[in-house]
Amino acid sequence: MREPFEQAVAEGRAGDRLWLYATYHCNLACRYCLTESAPGILNRRTLGAETMIRAVREARELGFEKVGVTGGEVFMLPDFAETLRRIAELLPVVALTNGTLFTERRLRELEALAGLDVALQLSLDSADAAQNDKLRGRGNFDSVLATIPRLIEREIPVRIATTVEDQTPDELAALCELHRSLGVPDTDHIVRPVVRRGRAVTERLGVELGPHDVLPELTLTADGAFMHPFAATVRGGETDLDLLVSRQILPLEAPLRRFLALVGDQPVGDDVVRSLR
Amino acid sequence: MSRLPLLSPTEAPPLARVWYREDGSASALTRSLASAPDLLETLMPYLGQVMGESSIDLQTKELVIVRVSQLNGCSYCLAAHRPVAGEVGVPDEQLAAVCDDVPLDRLPPRERALVEWVDRQTLDPGGIDDELVVRTLKHLRRDELIELTLLAGTITMLNQYCTAFRIPPPR
Repeated sequence: MREPFEQAVAEGRAGDRLWLYATYHCNLACRYCLTESAPGILNRRTLGAETMIRAVREARELGFEKVGVTGGEVFMLPDFAETLRRIAELLPVVALTNGTLFTERRLRELEALAGLDVALQLSLDSADAAQNDKLRGRGNFDSVLATIPRLIEREIPVRIATTVEDQTPDELAALCELHRSLGVPDTDHIVRPVVRRGRAVTERLGVELGPHDVLPELTLTADGAFMHPFAATVRGGETDLDLLVSRQILPLEAPLRRFLALVGDQPVGDDVVRSLR
Repeated sequence: MSRLPLLSPTEAPPLARVWYREDGSASALTRSLASAPDLLETLMPYLGQVMGESSIDLQTKELVIVRVSQLNGCSYCLAAHRPVAGEVGVPDEQLAAVCDDVPLDRLPPRERALVEWVDRQTLDPGGIDDELVVRTLKHLRRDELIELTLLAGTITMLNQYCTAFRIPPPR
């Protein structure tokens, strides 16, 4: 299984990152959220810590080079800092977070990540607080801006992800000025469009995904394995199945075998033209 | 009305779409199963093997399928398979007999023995005695009885699935 996976990665038909949806629970309810995550959702679809660790251990054996952990808000899980440390001991990892739950205690827990290949990717959509908070909820802008320097002080690498809907070039330029001033270089700033799945469908936001717009990257959730992290979406409380690879997620070989069968149809080398990450 | 979503080809997982026809159509049963693509991956080839032509002819298999579905009262499977049974050559009188429209003694000896076996297996498998086994094996080879017993059990499973989830019968 390792050899065909590495070949698919080398040919640009698949990414070498394993994605984990740690939970669909979130303290925010962003208008474009792919997973309808929110504080009050009934089905939190949480992957247990041991499930995530086992998946990453098996991923390393199967030739995956890195891991992404997303949600929901990963830090809604009380033991996530420790889970992240354990994952980072196995493979380089980036954890996506809204950056609003970094109490002093949480920051102290994260000090255990020192020296490990781990980064936190915080969402920030605008240099204008009102514009940012319109999409992401009141107080989000101030909270994220307060968190970034505290993470950098602790030498935890920070990336910023900006999800754009109708920002002008000037607005984006202002945001870039802001993240540079916070100590986050351009290379650690990701800009991507809103994808019209999940809550963005209801809100009529974003762009439709074409079959080759996203590099396939095996993505595990409590509902199953999906083609990429933009696939495991929820609408009206129901998980979309159109990009489901398999309901079984472990052993990882089981979904990987099916994933490889599906990416066999992907154009070789097509990853260079795909912009959604 | 179905208690399960009947997925269109665009809603179905990629690995389930291979079980849809080229024009995007599929049976309601397949469309309901598409939500569980890992199971379809093994279930569909198995159904093809156990329900398809083998060393046993299709008439015999369809006779079993219709009889079991009649016993279990599965409107979906009866609506789907009664026409198929006719198409593959099950005589009208035999079809009428297994659907309880005419007495079972209208069946030829081999089919009568088979139906007796299938009836007991479906309704009272613990009540099958050695004498029935011996009597049935006078008409069927052992491997045929194995295959037809698995077929009858599989059809009961599908009958239960279709009835429990109210899968809409084909028109």
